[in-house]
Order: sequence, then C-alpha cells, then structure tokens
Amino acid sequence: MTALLDTGPKMPLARVLGAYLSDAKYESLRLLRTPAFSVPILAMPILFYTFFGVLLNGGGHRPPGFADMMFVGWTVYGVMGPGLFGFGILVAVERNMGLLTYKRALPMPTGSYLAAKLMMAYVFALVVMAMLVAAGITMGHVTLAPAKLLAVAAVMSLGVIPACAIGLFIGAWAPASSAGAIANISYLGMAFLSGLFFPLSGFLHDIRFIWPTYHLVQLAHAAAGMPTEGSLVRHAGVLAAMSAVLILAASRKLARRG
Amino acid sequence: MAKDGGQTNRVALARLAGVQKRYGDTVALNGLDLEVRAGELLAVLGPNGAGKTTAIALMLGLQIPDAGEVTLFGRSPHDLAARRNVGVMMQEVALPDALTVRDLIGQTSAYYPAPLSLAETIALAGIEKIAVRPYIKLSGGQKRQAQFALAVCGRPRLLFLDEPTTGLDINARETMWAAVRGLVAGGASVVLTTHYIEEAEALADRVVVMAKGREVAQGTVREMRGLVSRKRIDCATSLTLAKVQAWNEVSAASLGENGQLSITTADAEAVVRKLLSADPGLKDLEVRRAGLSEAFAELTQEPVAQEPAE
Repeated sequence: MTALLDTGPKMPLARVLGAYLSDAKYESLRLLRTPAFSVPILAMPILFYTFFGVLLNGGGHRPPGFADMMFVGWTVYGVMGPGLFGFGILVAVERNMGLLTYKRALPMPTGSYLAAKLMMAYVFALVVMAMLVAAGITMGHVTLAPAKLLAVAAVMSLGVIPACAIGLFIGAWAPASSAGAIANISYLGMAFLSGLFFPLSGFLHDIRFIWPTYHLVQLAHAAAGMPTEGSLVRHAGVLAAMSAVLILAASRKLARRG
Repeated sequence: MAKDGGQTNRVALARLAGVQKRYGDTVALNGLDLEVRAGELLAVLGPNGAGKTTAIALMLGLQIPDAGEVTLFGRSPHDLAARRNVGVMMQEVALPDALTVRDLIGQTSAYYPAPLSLAETIALAGIEKIAVRPYIKLSGGQKRQAQFALAVCGRPRLLFLDEPTTGLDINARETMWAAVRGLVAGGASVVLTTHYIEEAEALADRVVVMAKGREVAQGTVREMRGLVSRKRIDCATSLTLAKVQAWNEVSAASLGENGQLSITTADAEAVVRKLLSADPGLKDLEVRRAGLSEAFAELTQEPVAQEPAE
C-alpha cells in the first residue's frame, strides 16, 4: 500500500467557488462568440415572435387574450432553446472530441462542467426573455401588468431546467453526428405540437401531456392570470419528475468510465 | 500521513501495480507495474498500441482497471486533492475554440490552489505571440504550445505529457524542451510518452519501454544507449541460424524472408571474424549501428517504423 503523500496547498472554498464562476463565465463567453450557436438561439425567438405574434396578429383585431397567448407561447419557445441546444449538441460533441475526458483529467470541481452550461443557459434565456418582453410591450399589444410579466419570467426561469435536462439526455446518449438533428426535432415537436400557439384537437390534443412545453405553458398561463387546464401542482410535478429521470439517465451514461 | 521529504527518490507520485485493462477482446494492459518517482523525468516508449496512453489514462482516473491498483499521490486518482498536483497534455483534445489562449489559461488555472500568474504561464510556455488569439486561429503546432501552457499553469508537481511535440517546428520544440527541463530542475516530475526517441534521450532520466501492455525494458538513458551501441550485421550465408545463435557474442539472430541472416551483437568484429572463418562463401556482408528503434523492435518483437539515420 502506498503512503498518502502530501498534496500541497489546500484549495480554499473561495477558490473552488471561483472555479465554478469562471467556468460559467467562459462557457457563456465562448458561446456568445460562436455565431452558429448564439445567432439562432438569440434571434429566432424574437424573429418568430415579431412575425407571428406582431405582424400577423390581425392589427389587434384578434380575439381578446390572443396577444398574451402568443407572447407567453414564444417565451416558452425562447427560453427552452439555450438549455436544449447548449447541452444537447455541446455535450455530445465535447464527449466525442475529447474535451470531456480532458476536463475529467484536470482538477475541475465536481459538477462544474454541467453547472457552467446551466449558468450559460440562464444567461442566454435572460437575454431572450428581455428581448421578448421589450417587443411584446412595444409592438405586441401585450396587456400583462409588470407584476404578471415578472411572474411569467419566474416560471420561465424554472422552465430552463427541464430544457437543460432534455438537452443533457440527448447529449449523453446521442452520437455527436446526430445530436443536432435530434435536438432540433425535439425542439420543433415541443414547440408546435404542444399547443403553445394554437388550440389542439384530435390525436394531438389527446397526447398533449407528453410535451414538457405543454406543462410549462400551463404554469405560465397561470402566472399571467390566463385560463389554464389541469392541476398546476401536477404540471409542476410532471416537469420535475421528467427532469429528474432524464438527468439520472444522462448521468449514468456520463459517469460510465472504462 | 507520510510526507515525501527526505526520501524523495523512493516515493512514487503515481503508481500502477499489477494493472490489467482490456477493451472487449483487446488486452490493453497485461499486468503492468509502473512507478513515477519524485523529481524524475520518465519517458514511456513503445509502438502504437503498446498501452502507453491507457497507462496514463489510468493514472489520471479516466479509466478504471479491471484488476490491480492505481494510486496518485498515494490516493485514488479520482480524489481532487491528488489531481490538483497534476498537469496534463493529452494527445487528442479539441478545446473550446472561440476562447483565446489567455481565456483558456484563465479558465484552467482557476482549478488549482496556487497557479502561476497569466504572465508567468505565457513566459514559461513561450507563447507571447499567440496569447491573445482565439484557439481556432492557431496552427496545429501552436495548439500544442497552448495545451502545454494549460498543462503547466497550475504549478503541477507531476506533469503528464502525451506526445507533446508532435507537429512542432524545431524552435518550438526546443522551447518546450527547455521549459520541461526547467520544471524538472525546479523539482517537478514528468511522465513523457513519445515516438521521438531523440526526445527521450534529450530529456529523460529513466526510460520504460512498453509492448503489448507490459513493460519490456526499463533503465536509465545511459543503459538504453547501451542497447544502441549494439551493431547489426546482415549477410547471405550457408550457416544455420541455430549455429550462429549459439555463439556467445550474438545477442539475437534471425532469418529474413530472402534468406538473409540478421545478427545483433555488441561485438561486431568478433562475430564478423567468426562468420568469415566458418563460411568462406559468405556474401553481402553489411555492418551498421543499431538504432534505438531497432533495439526496441528487438525488445518488443514487433516491427517499429524506421527512424531516420543518426
């Protein structure tokens, strides 16, 4: 048995926290500097919202509540993108390119790799949310009071987590070459088949509860004081359970060594 | 807890004991024992597939052995406290390429308790010219230099360098060698895997030769040079292989595909004298200095890519 050797200076807690913050900073910085990531993630929600929610809103002659529903729907769409793609594509690619292995060899604090991506998802989601609020108030005929807007933003900040969980699951299990396609299909499915922007009918209506976005938009509608269906506790519970299962399944894959 | 002061040369900073590792049907390591001692520069040589990179991956906790024991600073390599003493340069890694070299150094040094300053790291690695450039704009050799800077920025006591100078031009290689020598002079230990035998000769205190997942030879560079002082004799002769192998001066002999006899010996003159007197009809006699690569080929019983003549 080898003797324990002196491992030199201890790492003070402040430096450990500093390492988490520095990882979060550089993760956000590098993705802001990567147009292939930042442009679609930041620009698509505001472009789609401006087109469908503002320009095609019938000059304000739509039924009451239409503008608010559009706004909340595109907000859900916008805040889910960074987590879904930030984890979904990047974890798969970084697994494949050796970065994840390299980071494991370094004395990076436990969980900092994922914490940095989570913080990055929040930074991007905050920017998306701010742009949508600005557009909604100035052009989108959104009638929500500031307190209601804040409540919607609070729900959205919780919604970032299931998006990251789905992304992490894809990133952990999908091959790097197809992770992007899988993330895109999941994103479009969640956005357009879950009733974010229009009422569902028939089969799609029957299976709406499979989409995390359905549950999230119900919570957001509640926060905005709009009509909802089903129990809010159950919507929150489904999102939490879905996230936990996906994160667990992903960690099993990522933790597997050798 | 034992401190390492006082008996520096005996302490193993990293150790593999009886380690077995297989990937499916392929045996990567087959009962490997390997120790990295305090203050030494250990070069691990061997052909592709010998298990060098697997050995390093185990010491870093990137793989788990099927059998045997792995320790890093006397602990599990998964212990962060152990890895905070370690710097790493891996063979294949794609770093976040939108970050500049300075950003990457800042991010990596945050993982260590008492890292070098940014300026010290840049000076040590000799990368003043590329420090402000995004990683994506660097050439292959410059990327290796940047990765070297990341490996040294945390003031590691043990540095793993896996094929560090692949793709470097001569100046960049000399700069890296000088930095490595400086670190060893300052008390750090280094594990170097390389294909360049001259790199091991220039830097290493001790050399381990691996083949097929085992250590096949180890010794000081001087001892390894002893292997190089051997000569290789080729000739066409009617003598049998068994007869030549029985001569004391012959350390190895083999028959080539064309019936040519190849002999490795430390005493070429004596062997040539015996050959000529035993077979007056001997032809195509050729005597040359064996290179390290030939010494390794012999040790590892595998063809090794031909090294350029020295």
